[in-house]
Amino acid sequence: MTDSGVMKLIHTADWQLGKPYGRFTPDLRAALTDARFEAIDTIGRAATEHGARHVLVAGDIFDTEGPEDRTIVQAVTRMERHPCRWWLLPGNHDFARNGGLWDRVRAKTGTATGTDSKITILATAEPHELEDGVWLLPAPLTHRHNLDDPTEAFDTTETPGARLRIGLAHGSIRNFSSHGETNNQIPPDRARRANLDYLALGDWHGVLRIDARTWYAGTPETDRFQNNDSGHALLVDVTPGAEPDITSFRTGRFHWLIRDWTVSDAAAFSADCAALLAEINAPDTLLQLTLAGITDLSDRVAILTQIESDLVHRLRFLDLRADDLVGRPTENDLASLDVEGTLGIAAHKLNALSQSDRPEARIARRALERLLVEYNREDQA
Amino acid sequence: MTLRICRITVENFRKFRDPVTIDGLTDGLNILIEPNEAGKSTLLEALRAAFFIHYNANTKTTKSYAPHGDKVAPKINVDFTIDNAPWSITKRFLKNPSIEVTNPHSRAQGTGAEERLHELLGSTKDAGKKSGDTNSYGILGLLWIGQTEALSVSAPDLVIRETVSSILEAEVGAVLGGPAWKRVHDRIEDQYGQFWTATGKEKGRLTEARKAAEDAQTTAAEAKARLQALEDSFFDLEQARTRLKLARRDIADETDIQARKTLEKDLETARAAAQILATRRAEKEAATGTEKALTDLRTRHQTAFTAREAAEAVLTKARDRRRTVAADVIAAREKSVRTAETLEQARLAQRQARAALTEGKNRHDALRRHKAIAAAKTRFTDLAKLEQQLQQATALSRTLIPPDALATLIKHDKKVTEAEIRVTVGATLLTLSGDTSAVTFDGQPATPGEYSLTRDITIRVGDTELRLRPPASAASAEQDLSEARRKRDQALEDFGVSTLTEARLRNDRAHEAAAECRTLAARIDAATPADDILNLKSGPQALKAFIAGLPAENTVPPTETPDLPALSKAVEQADSAFSQADGAHQSAMEALRRLETEDAPLAAAEAGAQSDLSNATAQISELEKHPDFPTLTEALAQAGKRAAEAATALEEATRNATVHDQDTILRKIATIDARARTAQETCRRLETEIAKLEGTIESEGGKGLAEREAAAREAAEASEATLHRVTEDAETIRLLRNTLEESRRETSARFTGPVAERMKRTINRLMPGSDLSFSEDLALETIVRGDMTEDCATLSRGTQEQLAILTRIAFADMLREQGLPVSLILDDPLVYSDDGRLELLTDIISDAAKRMQVILLTCRDRAFRHVTGNHVSLSIAHSETTH
Repeated sequence: MTDSGVMKLIHTADWQLGKPYGRFTPDLRAALTDARFEAIDTIGRAATEHGARHVLVAGDIFDTEGPEDRTIVQAVTRMERHPCRWWLLPGNHDFARNGGLWDRVRAKTGTATGTDSKITILATAEPHELEDGVWLLPAPLTHRHNLDDPTEAFDTTETPGARLRIGLAHGSIRNFSSHGETNNQIPPDRARRANLDYLALGDWHGVLRIDARTWYAGTPETDRFQNNDSGHALLVDVTPGAEPDITSFRTGRFHWLIRDWTVSDAAAFSADCAALLAEINAPDTLLQLTLAGITDLSDRVAILTQIESDLVHRLRFLDLRADDLVGRPTENDLASLDVEGTLGIAAHKLNALSQSDRPEARIARRALERLLVEYNREDQA
Repeated sequence: MTLRICRITVENFRKFRDPVTIDGLTDGLNILIEPNEAGKSTLLEALRAAFFIHYNANTKTTKSYAPHGDKVAPKINVDFTIDNAPWSITKRFLKNPSIEVTNPHSRAQGTGAEERLHELLGSTKDAGKKSGDTNSYGILGLLWIGQTEALSVSAPDLVIRETVSSILEAEVGAVLGGPAWKRVHDRIEDQYGQFWTATGKEKGRLTEARKAAEDAQTTAAEAKARLQALEDSFFDLEQARTRLKLARRDIADETDIQARKTLEKDLETARAAAQILATRRAEKEAATGTEKALTDLRTRHQTAFTAREAAEAVLTKARDRRRTVAADVIAAREKSVRTAETLEQARLAQRQARAALTEGKNRHDALRRHKAIAAAKTRFTDLAKLEQQLQQATALSRTLIPPDALATLIKHDKKVTEAEIRVTVGATLLTLSGDTSAVTFDGQPATPGEYSLTRDITIRVGDTELRLRPPASAASAEQDLSEARRKRDQALEDFGVSTLTEARLRNDRAHEAAAECRTLAARIDAATPADDILNLKSGPQALKAFIAGLPAENTVPPTETPDLPALSKAVEQADSAFSQADGAHQSAMEALRRLETEDAPLAAAEAGAQSDLSNATAQISELEKHPDFPTLTEALAQAGKRAAEAATALEEATRNATVHDQDTILRKIATIDARARTAQETCRRLETEIAKLEGTIESEGGKGLAEREAAAREAAEASEATLHRVTEDAETIRLLRNTLEESRRETSARFTGPVAERMKRTINRLMPGSDLSFSEDLALETIVRGDMTEDCATLSRGTQEQLAILTRIAFADMLREQGLPVSLILDDPLVYSDDGRLELLTDIISDAAKRMQVILLTCRDRAFRHVTGNHVSLSIAHSETTH
């Protein structure tokens, strides 16, 4: 609390440490895992830089309730090397239970060795006085699936002599998620009902403002392809009697992009590619690219060739979905094969099959494409 | 165009030396059934020679035409029609070879005739140059199928192929792929090989991907199971904790405690009721007892009273009866008393007489003994004397010096005497007299006397010293004497004598004593005889022992001698008296006993009655002494009343006790206690379980199982995706490859289509639902049955043969339709066919025979006898046949 009465906090959530990234190659997996740990340092440095003495982590610090020891030790040691205090709230991924994850975490903190740890695990719903008159009301989750609203008790939680009441919870805002989640739903007006100056929420992985006093910080390091504003943390200035001042700052290293392109020909694709590469930092970008449209077979081959021989190597990772990019053989394509007699017959057969309603139509399309590729490889042969 | 062979004549051709003819061959099916070795194959060979082998060829083949060992000219004549135009060919090989081809309008010979023939039949010109190769025989070569030739589905020869190709080319309009085809095909095959085996099974990348996916699934499943086990532990722990909480609440629950208190109170009540019940029961027993005792008292009193009366009656009766017997008994008793007394006196007298006799005998014996002892004593005294004498005599006899010892003694004595003589001879005599006080001999005071000196001596007289030295011999003799004497004296001393004379005397006495000893011993024996009275044995020792054993006091010897005969007589008299007395007494006793026997039961009855009476009387008086007796009736009534009251009270107490049953209450308490105990045990068990689960969670929880599980799951998903992608690639390649293959087959089929089309009808009869494919060179290549494609080379021989025949028929049909002359000859066909196939093929062949001439040569009579057709036979032609 500064002299002016402004309380500076860092609000973050959903670190999802120990997320396995099993679909990626081992080196990329290692990079993504490290980036999550590095986000802790980024946040710690930001706290120092902005003069925030407290970092509130609104749940899902760990991806599972049973992470590897290395994951825990990395998390703890990274936190403890910064001067700020860390307030960790168990979420649904890392819910609190007897003999569970948080006992292990506690055993790795300075508390275990007798020194005063900078890490406080908020495994129970007891309020904590962060500083003189500034109370933190945590709503930890104690089960993987919590049907109740964990913040309900905030309304009645007493905080003697409080000048500021700050809530910390994990869950979706009721009627907020389009996925129809029903677990640990929090009413959107909880901050007003419980007379909170600020309600720091976790669960949604992007930065999201619910109202002036209720925010999701999102995950500091993006962990999936999703079109949300992830990879950030919030610097929160809370002043008694005033709306808090929220500033989002970048913490993430990797950018996970989703692009859906409708392609008409190879040239258009090349242009799109160039435009994309100009606006991103390709080596730190993971791209989920969905191509759709109908092109000549030869164009499709050209597009895929460009992707396979160039784009994929520029990016950190490419998830290509080109099934909807239909390559129709042109009359020219087929005519060039016709002169080859039997090859022509085969091409016509595959073409007919690919345009049929039969289940192997898709395979037939690919087979035809392959036939053309192999036929056109004549020069290289 | 139809070709019909009408007649064949062969002469000097291999086994046919004499001309052989087959005549009457017609359109349609001709069947020649001949046994093996009849020459069917030779006939076909002859036909081929006629049509295809150049007449003047001189090859191995043509040479083989001549019969073995003969140098004759093989000759063949065939009549045939083409489109009903009659033709005839006559060929002669080796010797004066010739050819003649004729029809009604023309006649050709030599090479022109051969050319004409080729024209007619469409066979190659230079067939003869590679004769033996059926392929060179042209169309008919294909259709004239020799034995076993049909067994392989061989391709038709080049000419046929060209013929067929030229026929079909317009229809096909496409050719098989060029270099582009080969390149693409090879590459796709190569890629196909990365995923699939030749038979279409998964392999390589596809198998790897599938394996990887399966492994990843397994790993994920294992990780999941392990995590689930941990989660179960957490769940179980939570459950156990909840149950523990409930169990503890149960223990703390007041209901049971309260219920138990109530039950304990009830138990108190029940115990009191039981106490009262016991008291009432005792009271009732007491009351009943009193009543019973009083009743008993009265009963006993009455009984005793009755008994007394009965006893009195019996007693009176017994006494009356006894009174009559009693007098006799008394008399008898008195008599018996008297006889008894007499008997007693007799017995006494008898006893005294006997005692006197015994006494007399004893005294007699004692006297005898006394005398014997006195005699023994006398003898003992004599014995002592004798023994003393014997002892002395024995001692004396023992002093006897043995003869040799005595001799030695005598010798020594003699030596002494001799030595004395020598000394006396050599000694110096010195006589001393007067006052000798001042004289000393060798320092010793000397006395007057005579001295014989045998050695040096110093004599002092006053201050004068005289030394006398006798001669040396004297000294020596002196010494010898001394020595001899010493020895003698020593010997004498040994025998206790002083002189030899004494020794001789003693020896004489000893001899006498020895003689006396023997005498004494005899006397001693005589003095110690045996004595029966004293029970003494002979010998001095027995006597000595007897005397030593005698009492010290000397018994006084009996004075008088008893009169034994008198005493014996007195005894006899006493005995007689006793016998008489005894007889009398016994008689009296007998009488008494009889009477007593008579009286005994009476007495007993009386005594019994008396006893009963006194008992009853005593009992009555005893009972009447009872304190309650005086008021017995009243007391009894009272006691009965009390007993009834006690019974009622007992009944009530029993009722009370039943209401509060201790057992039931105790059971209820036990149930409550058991419940409490079970709850305690449950708590303990749950605590143990919780501790165990906590241990499990502590050890397993720290292993990061959830993260591992998530990683394994995602890895499994990724490998599944990979598998999907690889599978798709594999499917794509397979489709492409199969499509290419199909296209190639189709092209080929289009090329060979017409043949296949024609065959289809017959093939479907043979193998329903099957399809054919021909290789590019028109050889039948594969049979497609359903989804199965089979290489013809792998089919059974029977099937291959059947297919070959069908192919030939199809080709023949096609060629016929194209206007070429065709004729089908089958030599011993269908030998590998089963009955069903044989019939089917026969039908097909019969059917083909409707379109062309078919000549079937066979040895299988049974198989073909029944087949409808023109049955022909070989006939030996003895004369030139005309036509």
